[in-house]
Amino acid sequence: MHELLSLVCFIVTVACYWGVKRVYLRTRKWWCTPIFAVPLLLIAAVVLVGIPYPTYFADTRWLSWLLGPATVAFAIPIYEHRQLIARHWLSLCCGVVVGMPVAVISSVMMARWLNLPELLQKSLAPRSISTPFAIATANSIGASSDLTAVFVVITGVCGMLMGEAMLAWLPVRSRLAKGALFGAAAHGAGTAKAQQIGAEEGVVASLVMMMGGVATVFAAPLIGWFV
Amino acid sequence: MLTSLMSRLTPRAKTPVQVAMLSAVWLGASVLSRLFLPAVPAGVLGMFLVLAALWSGWLPLDWCRDGARWLLAEMLLFFIPAVVAIVRFPELVESAGLRIFLVIVVSTALVMAVTSLVVDRCYRFELMMKRRIRRGLKHA
Repeated sequence: MHELLSLVCFIVTVACYWGVKRVYLRTRKWWCTPIFAVPLLLIAAVVLVGIPYPTYFADTRWLSWLLGPATVAFAIPIYEHRQLIARHWLSLCCGVVVGMPVAVISSVMMARWLNLPELLQKSLAPRSISTPFAIATANSIGASSDLTAVFVVITGVCGMLMGEAMLAWLPVRSRLAKGALFGAAAHGAGTAKAQQIGAEEGVVASLVMMMGGVATVFAAPLIGWFV
Repeated sequence: MLTSLMSRLTPRAKTPVQVAMLSAVWLGASVLSRLFLPAVPAGVLGMFLVLAALWSGWLPLDWCRDGARWLLAEMLLFFIPAVVAIVRFPELVESAGLRIFLVIVVSTALVMAVTSLVVDRCYRFELMMKRRIRRGLKHA
């Protein structure tokens, strides 16, 4: 019985993602981006039907598993854009070196200031980088990787919605700076948004996102000492 | 032999085969990371292995591009199960949901402002240095 329910959960998850993606491609409304609408629909379904999470996760864990190969796949766009990295390595590195500490320190300090428990402070620390990197970081600093995954997605949706307003307000004009804004603050969701603004912005966003992810994973011992 | 095999695959079959290949790299990297490099996550290690293979010319880009593109394009799907995990923490959403949201929004705005301002300055600095080098060459 539980096996069947797990399989149904898997099929519904994939179908829901596929359907919402099609609707989004047609309407381009922010509230039907897959990153926002699919989890909302599925959470509502799981709560209403009363499916225990282990049953839901039994088969859908294969989807989570694919995050590993997806991290490996980042090697290909990095290699394809090696010339852009060679030309603007200084700006990209500065963006990562400044953006990542600001993300981690501001999250942890604000969480402390608002009296959130220590587990939440830790789990909020890697929230601005791409999920596979964030989960790797969360595991090595003793945070809850489930909570981190949720915070990463909320960050992505917020970043997507806030990005354009921030760009209108900030005195930056270069494509490099616009792309870096999305890549550093809102990982994959931000990269998708940057891609809509322009191809170069999209590439810069994905590079900053990847470099930031790798840098944060390697800085994990430092973050673990800070939180 | 492998080259002819890969070029004989239809475009439709290419993507799953390459996804399987990247998954195999990841599995290999997780064994390596567990045995020798516990500090480096398997995904990151696998990424550097593929990057090294591409750079040395040992792995042609055509052998992994379609698979990588698919994995990255559908990445949102892969972390949906992890987000649904929020149903395990209903008390947390009730007691701290608003504060968590506040942390995320304020910190995201801060990261956006600082990063884009710094990168913009760096970019102008890069342009200035390039101009100066060019001028220096002209005078020499």
